[in-house]
Amino acid sequence: MTTMALNLWQQMRMQTAIWISLAAVLFAVLVGLALVASMGVPLSDAIVAFADGAWGSPYAIAASINRALALGLVGIGFVLANRANLTNVGGEGQIALGGIAATAMSLYGGASHLPGPLPFIVPMIAAALAGGVWGGIAGVLKAKVGTNEVISTLLMSFIAIWLVYWCVQSEVLLRQPMNNTATLPESLEIPDVTKLPLLTGDPGMPLHWGLPIALVLAVIVAIVLDKTVFGLRLRAVGLNPTAARRAGIAIVPSILLVLFLAGALGGLAGSFMLQGEQYSLKARFSSGYGFDGLVVGLLARGSVPGVIASALLFGFLRSGGINMELAAGVPSAIVMVIQGIIILTLAGAAFWMERKKSGK
Amino acid sequence: MQLAEHPLEAGAAAVMEPPPLLSLRGMGKRFGSLQALDGVSVEIASGEIHCLLGENGAGKSTLCNLVFGVYQPDAGVMQFGGREYRPSGPADALTQGIAMVHQHFSLVPDLSVVDNLLLGQARGILKRGECAQRVRTLSENYGLALDPFARIRDLSVGERQRVEIVKCLMREPRLLVLDEPTAVLLPIEIEGLLQVCQRVAAQGCGVVLVTHKLAEIKKIAHRVTVLRGGRVVATSNDPANEIDLLVRAMIQRDLEGLDASASAMFGAPATDAPEQDREIGHRIEDEALQVNGLTVRDAEGVARLDNFTLIVNRGEIVGIAGVEGNGQSELAAVLAGMLPATDGRFFVAGKNMTGKSPQEVTAAGVGVVPEDRHAVACITGMSLAENLFLNRLDRFKRWGLLDRKALRESARALMQEFDVRAAGPDLSFGSLSGGNQQKAVLGRELTTEGLVLLLAAQPTRGLDVGAVEAVYGQIRKACERGVGVLLISSELDELISVADRIVVLYRGRIMGHCVAHASERERIGAMMAGHVE
Amino acid sequence: MKLEMLAVFAGSSLRLAMPLLLSATGELVSERAGVLNMSVEGMMLTGAFAGAMGSLATGSPVLGLLIGIIAVMPVAALQAFLSNTLRANQIVTGIGINIFVLGATTTAYRAVLGSRSRTEIPGLGKWSPPFLGDIPYFGDAVFHQTWMLYAGLVIVALTAWVMRYTALGLAVHAAGAEPRAVDKSGLSVMRIRYGAVFFAGFMSALAGCFLSIGDIHTFTEGMTNGAGYLALAGVIFGNWKVGRTVMACLFFGAATALQFQLPAMGVDVPNAVLIMLPYLMALLAVGGLVGRQSAPPYLTHAFVR
Repeated sequence: MTTMALNLWQQMRMQTAIWISLAAVLFAVLVGLALVASMGVPLSDAIVAFADGAWGSPYAIAASINRALALGLVGIGFVLANRANLTNVGGEGQIALGGIAATAMSLYGGASHLPGPLPFIVPMIAAALAGGVWGGIAGVLKAKVGTNEVISTLLMSFIAIWLVYWCVQSEVLLRQPMNNTATLPESLEIPDVTKLPLLTGDPGMPLHWGLPIALVLAVIVAIVLDKTVFGLRLRAVGLNPTAARRAGIAIVPSILLVLFLAGALGGLAGSFMLQGEQYSLKARFSSGYGFDGLVVGLLARGSVPGVIASALLFGFLRSGGINMELAAGVPSAIVMVIQGIIILTLAGAAFWMERKKSGK
Repeated sequence: MQLAEHPLEAGAAAVMEPPPLLSLRGMGKRFGSLQALDGVSVEIASGEIHCLLGENGAGKSTLCNLVFGVYQPDAGVMQFGGREYRPSGPADALTQGIAMVHQHFSLVPDLSVVDNLLLGQARGILKRGECAQRVRTLSENYGLALDPFARIRDLSVGERQRVEIVKCLMREPRLLVLDEPTAVLLPIEIEGLLQVCQRVAAQGCGVVLVTHKLAEIKKIAHRVTVLRGGRVVATSNDPANEIDLLVRAMIQRDLEGLDASASAMFGAPATDAPEQDREIGHRIEDEALQVNGLTVRDAEGVARLDNFTLIVNRGEIVGIAGVEGNGQSELAAVLAGMLPATDGRFFVAGKNMTGKSPQEVTAAGVGVVPEDRHAVACITGMSLAENLFLNRLDRFKRWGLLDRKALRESARALMQEFDVRAAGPDLSFGSLSGGNQQKAVLGRELTTEGLVLLLAAQPTRGLDVGAVEAVYGQIRKACERGVGVLLISSELDELISVADRIVVLYRGRIMGHCVAHASERERIGAMMAGHVE
Repeated sequence: MKLEMLAVFAGSSLRLAMPLLLSATGELVSERAGVLNMSVEGMMLTGAFAGAMGSLATGSPVLGLLIGIIAVMPVAALQAFLSNTLRANQIVTGIGINIFVLGATTTAYRAVLGSRSRTEIPGLGKWSPPFLGDIPYFGDAVFHQTWMLYAGLVIVALTAWVMRYTALGLAVHAAGAEPRAVDKSGLSVMRIRYGAVFFAGFMSALAGCFLSIGDIHTFTEGMTNGAGYLALAGVIFGNWKVGRTVMACLFFGAATALQFQLPAMGVDVPNAVLIMLPYLMALLAVGGLVGRQSAPPYLTHAFVR
């Protein structure tokens, strides 16, 4: 009886969270529309352009979903680490590291000579490892010196962004051979065998193998978090590390592992972006996906289905925003305004919800 | 002395000739479902030392915080200096001339004494030299030795309290409120503090002293108000001669009728009764715990625990006495595997457990009821069932997944065995009462597989009488099963009535061993204060 | 190295360090009071944008500066409200504000100026202090700077003095070190923290205006380009002390100046490495490799009585 009442209560709270998130998104979109209107662009033009870019064609849908994949992986990593009360804001850097590793492995690591599906799998693994190590460093600092992981992951993001820059600037590293003065500061295109194969084989619908991989990972993380002893232990570490330690839970390995995994998911996102979409490493490779992924994780309020929903939302927002700029002349920066408002509304509402929770 | 059937009448009857400095009428305050204060009326005159007496949770601190403006009352009227007084915050209280020494100090550790005193008092450019001079003057007048330029971080607890008192006195208050100021002090420091109170009162200032120690009341109180369950249950104008009645009012039942161990909590002299039916040492077969020269140094190299050596036999309760902060916390932390020892070793049932992890210590059969339950023993944000099996969740692993059903069922069984009262195992641990939380923790620790040793630190703190009896009942039961118990407590009388023998800690060192008997009280007290035999 | 080059290097280091110096000093005060503003970046960008637009509209850079400062106040108010009153996560809100401001200023810039980017904007005048300006080689290259740089240095010095010798500085320090003590001493933690965030906003506005109307006399989209985060890194590297933070910012400025200086000297160090250097140093600092860090104990902890 009481258990049922309790579950009901939890469901209600879950629902409130969903409603608040929806309200925040709606509010932000309305503000965005108002901005568009105030710029003198007819609303219908803008909306049509947005819809065209977001879901107007199979190609657009696939592009939006591919964007959502990277955002979702970073978001899942965020949720995973957040279960242990760790805030990984280093998605941007982990994506960058993943991109570097995948490029290096595809171009110079000999991945393209491997048999079977290995040519595109090996760079993915390398990217996940690189992202994992990048996240793991923050874990080591946290465990050994007590450095706040927010500060360390943020700083490491900036370092990684400039590492990419360095890699594509130096011929010794990943820059393509400079044949003439017009050679762009970017890497060579990766060999076709290392690109992620398309699911349909139809170039008009460029959904690649990243989609099923990401979905499987999402399911695994969801199960691990909610249905396993490991997930419960992570929660204990997050809620009260001292009591968790007394209860025999190994804190330091938990922190290291979970930040490594979060970083690995970020690195994998980087490999998807490189092997599934961009095909060559450029200076602004990560282009804010890491920070957007962080927002996706925040929006999800700790639930994996929530990550999927908000990753799709942001993926479509991004695609639509880009087309809005191209077709209707509305700056895609409006999408950033919308994102900013969503984050701020939700962050402010969190207090209200916490208060409701404790005041039950 | 009046035992108050109707609190308001009691308040009215106590009106004295000159208008009182502070008068509280019908004060009420509710926190969530808890009625912390209910129609409390008290009056305090200038130059009077007025003691508020009561058990933990009786509402003493809440009352002080109302006077100081930390909380606003739900009901009641306050008058200060004959005028209506309705503080909206501590700032109001301070401007009116009410100062308070809190249970928890409010000092900034990385600032000097002078800077702490200037905080909130000074405007514009700081005049540190001038302030230091005032500190020296006050120190001389009241006998409070202090270095004005020392950093708070480097001061002892007693010295920090002196800073708090000087801070209050610098405002030249008309009313000084002290919330359990003696709880953290050594006997000799308590003596000094009580003298300060008397000097302050002699200058015409009203003093409110919150305490649950009867000796202090006997020594300095002019009047006493006793609170229980948020109500005034008695007042006395001649406390020194009415102690017994005050105690009775405080804990409701006659002391003799209580389980001796519970009554000991409240500072009444322990009876000689409890040891008679337990002959000490007759079940000794094996050592549950052997500690050899355990030493813990802090970051500054100061020895918090110094060459500590002890044996706890199976089926024996050994008490560790001492004023808090004399190494008990460090000892408990090392034995629980939470803190590495600088030197020395300890063995549980003959196995060397020095430097082992909490997990290994638990596996060796050590149950731990830590001093700070919320920080170490439980996770309030998780369910009761999850907390009951926090250290052995692997038991509920099925094909890699967590078997929630089995967890719930095991939790129900444990709840029944240890009388943990809660609506269900899925209830949030934080929503349980303190007593039930402690029973749950005790239940978990006592069912540790292969239990050899129970380490219990302040296991009854903050619990009501019923829960105290339940806790000691369980501990005794474990003891009869042959478990060795190391009981750490700062309440000497509690130790005397529960333990078989007592070891006294002072500044991290063992001052002496003795049998737990009321006749040893004086001796133990002296050792607690650092007197070598 | 030639003397002229050294002088140019010193001058541009100082100039490039100035925005960091200003915003880091403001942020330092706020962090000492216990509030972390990840939004320094956004507040700087707001200041840079509003300052530039104000200067362009009024034709007076001084009025532009004023408008820049005023425009940042709502942003600071939002940050203060979210982190103090609503007790929202300070990191999340800061990042949210940054994303919002970047979007908003970019959109507004396009709306106001359309494609006319790189429009020259009336900027603040330059000034050489007496005597210093007359030093051979160095006078012109080092000390002939916008007057705002000197004003900024005075404000930084003043802030250091206030923090050390006044009741206000004491209260700010205590609000981040032990807010309960502040509350019990009768001061309002809320007011101190709101004030501190507004001060950080003010300083960030100055820093932003220094970029747009003090230094290069134009506005470009997202022109702060991480300078706000660099200021945060400066505070960390400076171990939350004014003097050390100033040194850190000067060092960061020098590292940035080297980007332009080294190629001229024929030294081939990748740009990216120099830009990365400040972040790397800050990481080493928080990683405990450069002495022990002592952040204010209650940094990012909202105060509840």
